[in-house]
Amino acid sequence: MTLLRTRGLTAGYGPVTVLHGLDLEVAEGEIVVILGANGAGKTTTMRAISGTIPRAGSVEFEGHDVHKSAPDAIVRGGIAQVPQGRGTFPELSVEDNLKVGAFVRRDGGGTIGTDVLRWFEVFPRLAERRSQRAGSLSGGEQQMLAIARALMSRPKLLLCDEPSMGLAPLITQELFQVLERLNKEEGLSVLLVEQNANLAMHMADRVYLLETGRIVASGSAAELSADDSIRKAYLGF
Amino acid sequence: MELFLQRTVDGLSEGSVYALLALGLVIIYRGTGHLNFAHGEMALFCAYAVYQFGEWGIPIGIAVVMGMGVGFLVGATAEVALVRPVARKSAFAVFIVTIGLFQFLNWLDGAIWGGQQLPNTGVGSKQVSYPSLFPAADDDFVTIFGAEITIKSLGTIGLVLVLSAVLFFVFNRTKLGLAMRAVASNADSAKLVGIRTNTVLMFSWGIAAAIGALGGVVTAGNAQSVSQSLMFSVFIYASAAATLGGFDSPLGAVVGGLAIGVIQNLTAGYVEWVGQEMKVGVSFLVIVAVLLVKPSGLFGTAKVERV
Repeated sequence: MTLLRTRGLTAGYGPVTVLHGLDLEVAEGEIVVILGANGAGKTTTMRAISGTIPRAGSVEFEGHDVHKSAPDAIVRGGIAQVPQGRGTFPELSVEDNLKVGAFVRRDGGGTIGTDVLRWFEVFPRLAERRSQRAGSLSGGEQQMLAIARALMSRPKLLLCDEPSMGLAPLITQELFQVLERLNKEEGLSVLLVEQNANLAMHMADRVYLLETGRIVASGSAAELSADDSIRKAYLGF
Repeated sequence: MELFLQRTVDGLSEGSVYALLALGLVIIYRGTGHLNFAHGEMALFCAYAVYQFGEWGIPIGIAVVMGMGVGFLVGATAEVALVRPVARKSAFAVFIVTIGLFQFLNWLDGAIWGGQQLPNTGVGSKQVSYPSLFPAADDDFVTIFGAEITIKSLGTIGLVLVLSAVLFFVFNRTKLGLAMRAVASNADSAKLVGIRTNTVLMFSWGIAAAIGALGGVVTAGNAQSVSQSLMFSVFIYASAAATLGGFDSPLGAVVGGLAIGVIQNLTAGYVEWVGQEMKVGVSFLVIVAVLLVKPSGLFGTAKVERV
């Protein structure tokens, strides 16, 4: 079943239009990767879906049109975004960062506490630093925290904006493994944008290629890596 | 020794007022990163309002709560109607807007209540003096180690300590507090976790102005009257307190306020050439000294972030 569907999604900043009508789909339980170079509009796509910038066109989530919804309504609906550059709360403790991730949840402190412990199990390094300020964590730890925080809202769809940025390849791999596991074990759907394609392609069910605000190709990971021109431009081999 | 104790307690009592105002400055600074130049005038408007409630025969205990309600409305309205629209354009513009608001509120006080000190039986006030929150007759004092400490001083200090405890609880143990800290730390990410940042900022300004209202009422109670110039120097002391404690630390605001009160009273008492007239100079020196030695204040955090 289709979870997210955009039709003619257009967005930008003031007079500048960055996205020129994107048609995207993410089915339930899918990992979809959007590949694109710098300035292709990857982050803008994420922001347009999460409602943090004005957008036009239709955004349907679970069959409901949400393109007019405010960001908090979108989070409540089940879409959580991990912004580019971590986006943690540097002055808050690791534990408070996780708690604030559950802000939209209506179930009491008990189940939220259980979830906090659960993410500490998945990311043991966060558990060791639970009362430390998030700003004092390393880049990789902050990215883990940002992902765990987004998952604290128990989303159906996770938007990840270039989680590999500035991270060592090993850490990136570790993060992607966690995402893959959550996808397989709990059916979490993931929409991930990446510049660095190699790792992301491995776990993608489907891939979109974004160039200057337009989708220029789409298909399964295998199909796209079979295409010579695409392989040269995005995969580097 | 009695004199020292007396001066210290008087200082703590005066400092409590600065702490109340500084708390509001800090809450607003943490929320939107602005210095609210009109903070003292918002408090003054509320102090006038409480005078008015008193004229209508409302007892001080209820009047002060109503005054804080007025403060909340003034603060929240200022954020929604004035600060938010210009904040999108530039942070400096907000500073100018709060200066404008400072002037407007002071003019408004004069337009409504006139330029004279109130209460004033000459212009028909029913109250004889501005209502005090605590018993303030001549014999309302306790003797501690030979020093005569007024109930009013103890009450004021107690008020600030209780309020600080309440605020600590709100900040650290409630969802609103978590939201306020999150917005202060990273407004963009706060939006992404579903916090209505605009509502939180409105609440921050409202709460800040409500606490300020309390400071205004206590100041007027100590002066036994309210007038248009009542809060000018208090605002400067409160700014000094926030600078000393750290502009992003509520604990710092309280400690800074109490410290400024004590420093002021002791220097005014023991250093002859400072005296009562030069007290403002002392807080100015404190501001300069703090900015030179530890710009983030005693409890403030220097913004350092690993990437």
